[in-house]
Amino acid sequence: MNTTAITQDIRERISHIESTPAIPAVLLPLLKLLNMPSDRVQMDEVAQLISYDQAISAQCLRIAGSPLFGLSRPPKSIPAAVVVLGLHRVESILLTSCMGLAFPVKTWSIDPGVFWRHSLACAMVCRKFSESLAGADAEKAYAAGLLHDLGILVNCLVFPGEFAAAMERARQLQMPLDEAERTTMGFTHCESGRALAEQWGLADALIEVVAHHHTVEQTETSRGLVALVHLSDLLCRMRGLDYGYYERHKVDLLADPAWQILLQEHKDLENVDLVRFTFELDDAVSEIHELVSMVLGNAAQT
Amino acid sequence: MTIVTQPSGASAATPNRTAAADPAYRQIRDLVYKVSGIYQAEDKLYLLADGCARRCKAIGVQGPRQYWDHLTAHPNRDGELRQLLNELTIGETCLFRSQPQLDALRKVILPELTGDKMRQVTKRLRIWSAGCSTGEEPYTLAMTLMEEKDGLLKDWQFEIVATDLNDRSVEKAKAGVYGDYALRNTSDYFKRKYFVPADETRIQVRPDLKKFITFNRLNLLDDSKMLFMKGMDIIFCCNVLIYFDGASKSRVIAHFFNDLSFGGYLFLGTSESLLKLNEQFHLVHFPGTIAYWKPSLQSGKP
Repeated sequence: MNTTAITQDIRERISHIESTPAIPAVLLPLLKLLNMPSDRVQMDEVAQLISYDQAISAQCLRIAGSPLFGLSRPPKSIPAAVVVLGLHRVESILLTSCMGLAFPVKTWSIDPGVFWRHSLACAMVCRKFSESLAGADAEKAYAAGLLHDLGILVNCLVFPGEFAAAMERARQLQMPLDEAERTTMGFTHCESGRALAEQWGLADALIEVVAHHHTVEQTETSRGLVALVHLSDLLCRMRGLDYGYYERHKVDLLADPAWQILLQEHKDLENVDLVRFTFELDDAVSEIHELVSMVLGNAAQT
Repeated sequence: MTIVTQPSGASAATPNRTAAADPAYRQIRDLVYKVSGIYQAEDKLYLLADGCARRCKAIGVQGPRQYWDHLTAHPNRDGELRQLLNELTIGETCLFRSQPQLDALRKVILPELTGDKMRQVTKRLRIWSAGCSTGEEPYTLAMTLMEEKDGLLKDWQFEIVATDLNDRSVEKAKAGVYGDYALRNTSDYFKRKYFVPADETRIQVRPDLKKFITFNRLNLLDDSKMLFMKGMDIIFCCNVLIYFDGASKSRVIAHFFNDLSFGGYLFLGTSESLLKLNEQFHLVHFPGTIAYWKPSLQSGKP
C-alpha cells in the first residue's frame, strides 16, 4: 500500500498546532538538542534548558527514581542525575516528562492513560531490545519508541471527529488502528504525525519512524531503527500494552519483513530469545503503569 | 499437571516477597528456564522461593545461595533440580485457566481455520489436549467450541482428544465432576449451560458436552502410539514438557509437529517456552498469549 500523500488542507490544519499554548516551552529546544551529535551537547545546556520549567524538572527527578530508569530513589538535581545516569539517559527522561506535559488534548478519542502506557511501553521495549543488540543506540531507540505515535496526538487535536470514528471502528471490529484510520479518514497517524514531525524539524531518523512504523519496507533511511520500533510496537500490542481494545491479530515477528531488515543490521538479533523477552516485558508492566501515572499525574495538576 | 501460577489460599494473602529478594533466586529462575522452558515471572518469584525453602529444609541446606551451589555443583544436582521442578508443580488445575489462550482460539484461530480452503472440504476440526490431567482443559475447550456451534462452526464437526499418562486422572476426567476450586474461573453462564448437580458441593459435566471428547491413557514418549495421533488442528500441551529431559522433549515436540495438519497450532502453558528445541514451528503472538504454528502449505515455508 502506498503512503497516501495528505492534502495541503490537512497540512495547513496541522500547522496551527504550534500555537497551542500549553506545549512546554522547552519541548522544541529539547528535541533540537536530541538532534545534535552527542559530543556537541553540553550538560549545562540541558540543565539550563530544564531549569526554565519547574514542573518539568520536578517531574524529571521523580521519573529518574523509577526502577525502569535504573535508580531506586529520585536524584536530588538534574546535574546529579546526569552524573549517575549519563547525559543520554537524562535526555530520555526529559523527553518523557515533556511529552507527558505536552498536548493537553481536550478531545481525546483514546484514553490518555492508555495512549501514554503504549507509548512509554514501546519506548522501554525499544530500549531493551537495542540493549541486546551490539552497536544499537538505546536512548535514540527510546526516543523513537516514545514519539512513534505522535500522529495519534495530532489526530486527537486536529481531526477529533474523524479520528473518534476511526477509533470506534477499530474497537468494534477489533482491527489494527492504522487500518481503521485508512478506511474512515483516508490517511493514518503515520502521515499526520509525519507532517508535524517535519514541521518541528525532528531528526530525520525520528521522522522516518513516525512516518513508516507501519510500512517498514517503504523506509529509505534508518531502516534498522524503524524496523525496531515496528517490532516493539507489535509486541507491546500483543502483551496488553495496547490501545485499550482486543485486536484480532496474529503476529509472527520472525516472519515479519522488519525482522529481516533488523537482522541485516544486527546479526546478533538471532541470539535474542523472543519468548523470554516477552515474559520479561510482562514483568515490567506494573512499573510501566506506575510511570504513566507519574507522567500523567503531573500533567493533571498543571 | 499444573504450574502454580495463581497463588491461592493463605499464600495469596501473605506472599513471601521479601524472601524472594535474594539475587540467588534470579539465578535459580534462569536455571529453571534454561532446563524446563518455564519462566517464573517477577511477581511469582515468591513461589519459587517457597519451593526452594521446602527443598532446602528437606536436604538440610541453609539458604538460597547454598542451594544454588547445590543445584549447580553437587554430584546430585540433576536429581535435585528435578525435585525442585516437582515442588513448583502440583496436580491441580482449573477450568478456564488461561482466558488469553481461549480468546486467541475463538477470535483469531477459529476464523482462520474455518476459512481455510483445505479444511472446508471436510469441515472437521480435531483438537488434542495432551496431558489433560483431570479433564479441566478438554471440557473448557469443548465449551468454547460449543459457543460457536451456530456461528463459526455451523455445519462443522469437531472432536477433542484428551490424553494423560495417569490412569486415575483419566478416570476422573471422564467423570467430569468438579468443586468450587476447579470452577473458580467458570462463570455462572457456563455452569448453568453445561453442568448438572452431582452432589451437595459439586457439579458434573452434561453428557451432551462429554460426547465431543474421547479420553485415553497415552504416554507421550510412546513413539508407535504417537504416530497415530495424526490430523490434529490444534494441540494444547500445558506444563507437561517440564517433566521430560531435553532429548525426550525434542522427541515429543517432533511428534507434535508431525501430528499437526498444516496451519495448525501448538499451545504450551502460559509461562512456558519451547526454547530452541524445534526450528520448524513458528513462534506467533496473539493478544496476551503465544503459540507455535506449523506454517500452512500456501505460505511456502513449512
